[in-house]
Amino acid sequence: MPPDHNLDDYVDPYEPGHRHGGPLRVGLGGPVGSGKTALAAALCRTLGAEYDLAVVTNDIYTTEDADFLRRNAVLPDDRIEAVQTGCCPHTAIRDDITANLDAVELLESRHPGLELVLVESGGDNLTASFSYGLVDVQVFVVDVAGGDKVPRKGGPGVTSADLLVVNKTDLAPMVGADLGVMRRDSDAVRGGKPTFLISLREDPAATQVAEWVREQVRARAVAHA
Amino acid sequence: MTAALLALADSRLPAGGHTHSGGVEQAIAAGIVGDPRSLEGFLRRRLETSGAVAGGLAAAACRAVTEAEAVPDGGLARVLVALDAEADARTPSPALRAAARQQGRGLVRVGRRAWPHPVWDALPGHPHHPVALGVAAAAGDLTARDAAAAAAYLAITGPATAAQRLLAMDPITVATVTARLGPDVDAVAADALARTGQGGATATVSGDHRTEVTGAVSWAPAGAAVGTWLPADTDPLMDLLAEVHTARGDRYFAS
Amino acid sequence: MRTLVEVVARPGPGGRTVLPVVRASGQLAVRRTGPTTVHLVATAFGPLGGDDAEIRLVVEEGARLSVRTVAAAVVLPARGESPASVQRVLAEVAGELDLQPEPTVVTAGAQHRALLHAVLADGARLTATEQVQLGRTGEEPGRWTGTTRVERAGLPVLHTTVGLGPGAPAWLPPVAPRAYASTVHLGAAGTREVGDDAVRLPLVDGWVATAWGDRLIPTLTRLAALDRVTHDPALLEDAR
Repeated sequence: MPPDHNLDDYVDPYEPGHRHGGPLRVGLGGPVGSGKTALAAALCRTLGAEYDLAVVTNDIYTTEDADFLRRNAVLPDDRIEAVQTGCCPHTAIRDDITANLDAVELLESRHPGLELVLVESGGDNLTASFSYGLVDVQVFVVDVAGGDKVPRKGGPGVTSADLLVVNKTDLAPMVGADLGVMRRDSDAVRGGKPTFLISLREDPAATQVAEWVREQVRARAVAHA
Repeated sequence: MTAALLALADSRLPAGGHTHSGGVEQAIAAGIVGDPRSLEGFLRRRLETSGAVAGGLAAAACRAVTEAEAVPDGGLARVLVALDAEADARTPSPALRAAARQQGRGLVRVGRRAWPHPVWDALPGHPHHPVALGVAAAAGDLTARDAAAAAAYLAITGPATAAQRLLAMDPITVATVTARLGPDVDAVAADALARTGQGGATATVSGDHRTEVTGAVSWAPAGAAVGTWLPADTDPLMDLLAEVHTARGDRYFAS
Repeated sequence: MRTLVEVVARPGPGGRTVLPVVRASGQLAVRRTGPTTVHLVATAFGPLGGDDAEIRLVVEEGARLSVRTVAAAVVLPARGESPASVQRVLAEVAGELDLQPEPTVVTAGAQHRALLHAVLADGARLTATEQVQLGRTGEEPGRWTGTTRVERAGLPVLHTTVGLGPGAPAWLPPVAPRAYASTVHLGAAGTREVGDDAVRLPLVDGWVATAWGDRLIPTLTRLAALDRVTHDPALLEDAR
């Protein structure tokens, strides 16, 4: 940008376009079987009446997650988009987010009043995280059955997600996991960002997570007012 | 200015290429590709058909932009729409058309921010990837030759990487397969470039021409557009694989 | 040897078609064999390497023309390093053109290049078939390259070049067919169909179907199988 240019014409070349508007995009990541899809379905059921919402799924191979959501999330088909990730689910949400952006844009064009998009990652490992070019905030979901050492082991998902959800607390006695240890280890590596210990079996509405999402929608509305 | 060319041909450019296998996922399912030698054969046939077509379209689009800048006539958008129609005519498979337009859209998304240029606005919505690639090359101050080379090269590197992932092949072997096709990539690009010169990218062909170019017969009546001359090599096998693939529910790749 | 055929079909009185121009020179003769049908008749062996044939067809609005040949064209190499033989069909169609020649057999050592360039007005109808066999029985395959370009109302609808035979860049094992058949139709929509080494692709108000294999007759059967879903009633009527 030459200095003699009119500043009114100045566009920051590094400013991601979607931050100027559009729905809040929430990434839901985490290992296989931790309950991402169940959480997405719970959020759809709890928030579907409040917000104009849609879901993008990143299944590894099949449309299983999308099909599960169609059955369980009372979301119409035209609000669910599945993307193919070319054998690399973490690439599709982090390194080259093109296919996911296409899916989000398709949903936006189909539903112009869209307020909330949940982007569910394919089941990956503890290193997977979403690019902030794709999502505004991200939730990382682990479960108690994976062992109480999971938060201690860290990884970008656990340490830097905007919200860490430890699911299946009802299983803790069965697998010998110490929830106190998980809470302490999480807090130690997360620099003050929240961690919720939940059981979707006991609270199918995902009340606490839904409230957190509401706060994010409100915060974004304030930021863009 | 080769840095922009290297960026355009880099598989890590976030334009969505990694979700497309260029037909190799279905070729593996059909038993056509299973080892380095069969992969080489597959890449060669893809290079000589869709690679040649992409090279011609990309070079023609790049030329159209650079020539329009020399002589601004407001017709650039019309030329790019015409090239996009030529791409459609050379891509009768609906699955391959969708894949080309999806990749074009991805390239426009990253290209217009990485190499800002007014020409991006002259592109039709959701252009075919080679047309977008030609425009990206021009926006990055590259030549039509660069555009053709990038198009031909990308025609084989996408499926090569996909095959490596799907078959867990030795990445060094796959790199070798790709490298050994280097001279063929250059030859396809050079031929594609030559054929954009048959009438000039924005000009029309004057007079009644008959010519034979690279094994195909071309014929253009007076006034025929440059699209008449561009490579149109096709492989019905690729069309069939693409159409079978797109109907599958269990696939890793978008195409 | 240069060959030139010219046929013009024009609407005549009572909705019939008249053919004011029916001309041929070189190695093809043209015979009117029906109210709207002409047959091309080879007057010599071949084509031979180096031969050049151009067939110009004009079908005016309201007219119909069917073009047939009487026998397969057997392409033979010239002596020594044989150049290709070339056949160009250049068609301007505002009415209805049905172009269904007998197969082209490309013998060992021969090269044949075929071009169909059809320029259609809005509302024109076209059916064009291509049937190719590389090599006679027990013979090495020859080389065939075919380009089809169809434009309608100023826009390209289909432009493809298929290369078959030894040395063709995309003719590689394990898929290196010696037989090939293709039909392009404009004037009625067709759905996407996949078959055994056969595929039909929809075009705007038309379709293109292709099949390949070792021998021509089973290839034609598989091509026809794609067509079971939709067949244009008007064409069927015509066939009767």
